[in-house]
Amino acid sequence: MADISLPNPPAPGLFHRAASGLGLLVLLASALFGGNVAGMRERFLGSETPEERPAAVSRGTEVAAPPGETSPATEAPKQSVLRSQPWWQSVGKIQGTGSMTAPAFSVNADAVQWRVRWTCQTGQLVVRAPEQRRPVVDAACPGTDTGYGIQKGNVSLQVTADGPWEMQVDQQVDVPLFEPPLPAMTAPGARPVMTGSLYRIDQVGTGTVTVYRLADGSHAVRLDDFFVTANTDLELQFSPLEAPRSTKQVTDNPRSPSIATLDVTTGSLNFPVPSHVDPTQYRSFVIWCEVANSAYSAATLRPA
Amino acid sequence: MTAPAVTAPARPKPHVTLRGQEIPVVLPSRRDPRFKLSSVVITLHVLGQTLLDWKVSIAQILITMLLCGVIEFVVTFRGQRIIAWPASGILTGSSVALILRASGTRHGDWWSLRGIQWFILAGLISLLAKHLIRPTGKHLFNPSNIGIVWCLLVIGPNHVFAQYLWWGPSHVGQALAYAVIIGGAMWILRAVRMIPMAVSFLVTFAVLTGIFALAGHSFIAIWHVGDIRGLEYWANLAFSPEVLVFVFFMISDPQTAPKPPLGRVIYGAATATVAAALIYFQTTEFGIKVAILSSLTVVCAVVPFIEAWCRRRQAAASGDRQPTAPATPKSILAALRRPAVIAALIVAVAAPIDTMALANNKQVVLIERGEVGKANAQ
Repeated sequence: MADISLPNPPAPGLFHRAASGLGLLVLLASALFGGNVAGMRERFLGSETPEERPAAVSRGTEVAAPPGETSPATEAPKQSVLRSQPWWQSVGKIQGTGSMTAPAFSVNADAVQWRVRWTCQTGQLVVRAPEQRRPVVDAACPGTDTGYGIQKGNVSLQVTADGPWEMQVDQQVDVPLFEPPLPAMTAPGARPVMTGSLYRIDQVGTGTVTVYRLADGSHAVRLDDFFVTANTDLELQFSPLEAPRSTKQVTDNPRSPSIATLDVTTGSLNFPVPSHVDPTQYRSFVIWCEVANSAYSAATLRPA
Repeated sequence: MTAPAVTAPARPKPHVTLRGQEIPVVLPSRRDPRFKLSSVVITLHVLGQTLLDWKVSIAQILITMLLCGVIEFVVTFRGQRIIAWPASGILTGSSVALILRASGTRHGDWWSLRGIQWFILAGLISLLAKHLIRPTGKHLFNPSNIGIVWCLLVIGPNHVFAQYLWWGPSHVGQALAYAVIIGGAMWILRAVRMIPMAVSFLVTFAVLTGIFALAGHSFIAIWHVGDIRGLEYWANLAFSPEVLVFVFFMISDPQTAPKPPLGRVIYGAATATVAAALIYFQTTEFGIKVAILSSLTVVCAVVPFIEAWCRRRQAAASGDRQPTAPATPKSILAALRRPAVIAALIVAVAAPIDTMALANNKQVVLIERGEVGKANAQ
């Protein structure tokens, strides 16, 4: 404070002192708020960042590990704030004959909803879920269809049936899916042949794309640490362009047939390439939305 | 971004009579340096609305200017009993709207009031700081700077952001913007003797960010595909029109910059050094912009010390005695009990700490990567 002259104002009154003290408290509070201490700012003013949740490690919650390998489902899942387009994860299959209380299945607390894809042989099938007025299924047999519910945790269905029935239970989740590489990708004789990093065109796309040549001569694509703006009806394709930068560039050139439809829009995923598509004939990888006629994202493929 | 100094007329001639009392009227003058600065800022706003796709609406700009103008008018009238054209307030408002953006505002929504509360808050904070935090008898912080920094840090990246470092997409628009900024700088800075300060900032900043670029630093930005690194990192920082506006039209405010020429050079270099030190931790464009703006908040707080050092140095060189008595522990303690000094201290300490906290903020990274689920939160 060396030789800085400060003015000498008259002694402030009680009101001024109280107002100054209050002002300083507000300033101090805003300083703490601005530092997002203990997540204060995001708690009060909202956040674009969803809560961290454990990502899924497989397309089913009941996946069995391949012989000699650790079950991916038993590994600690990654925590992620990213959200995928909601996708269906298999929960399990329940079956029986006649009326009964079906074995309970477990639905994640953060699942959007669950469904049963049912089949029955004779008579009538009525399936009721707890605390749900309308039955999940109320149909004549033989038949097959889908019923939906929104209960979380352990769900036990009450089945009224005249014959054998079967239900495949799935839950809809929006967490990323981090699948391990396909065993065929790491098997002897398999090798990565092309790789590239996703970049945005009409929407955001990040992550890496690797094309594998498998031991049997077929190909598979792996997306690692991948994210694309969520939407339904996204397809994976190859393009002959080296680095498409717009939807028009993509549509002005012939593309490969769709390799797969993208149900999960973030995570690490594997896709077998259909036998009639030869990835080595193309130079880039495109995430395409047929409904919107829009190239979401692309990656230039270079030899791995 | 307030204003180059203005010399108030000794005896304003026009006046109005209110309840029998003659009240002087100070009208706007073309010789007022603030007029020049306002012209440059308004020209940039016009370019922003027409060629540069700025995500700020005309309504947001006008309301912020009007609010700041009215507050300044009332404060001046109450304090000095004059009716004065609120040039400083209007300039503060237009400067806030030049840099601050409300998330979700789209270019071309001319009359959108989206996030208008954040503009109003930034304007209010600017003028509150100007009129209340006066430890040396004059305002310490650059008003629009502290208002914008407060808003960016306290309201946060979910709701507000600063104008992009890169002003696209039109090349013509960019060329015109550079012409206006550099032409405006020559027009204004020469008059207020701030060219050495600007040069000292730009050289120091270019060297330090160049070292960062060579060391492999990078950042992500919502408008860019992939990381920005290397030469692109350096060019986007050292030659960003946003940074040039900051140097030429914000830190050059003679009211908050040191008066001695050497002090101004130190001030420019110190601001660049603090900016670079804060940028060092940032990996997002949002963090980098807040770092640059916060650097001025920090350095403004030490301007009285820079001036005091210059005075001592000058006194020593001319063989004079110390111009004022040296500080004693008692005088320091007495100063630290003053609300304005405490407030200045809180601001000067909180601004860099809160800025550094942005480096670990996942939300900023998600927003800049466009991974928040919305197409573009900014």
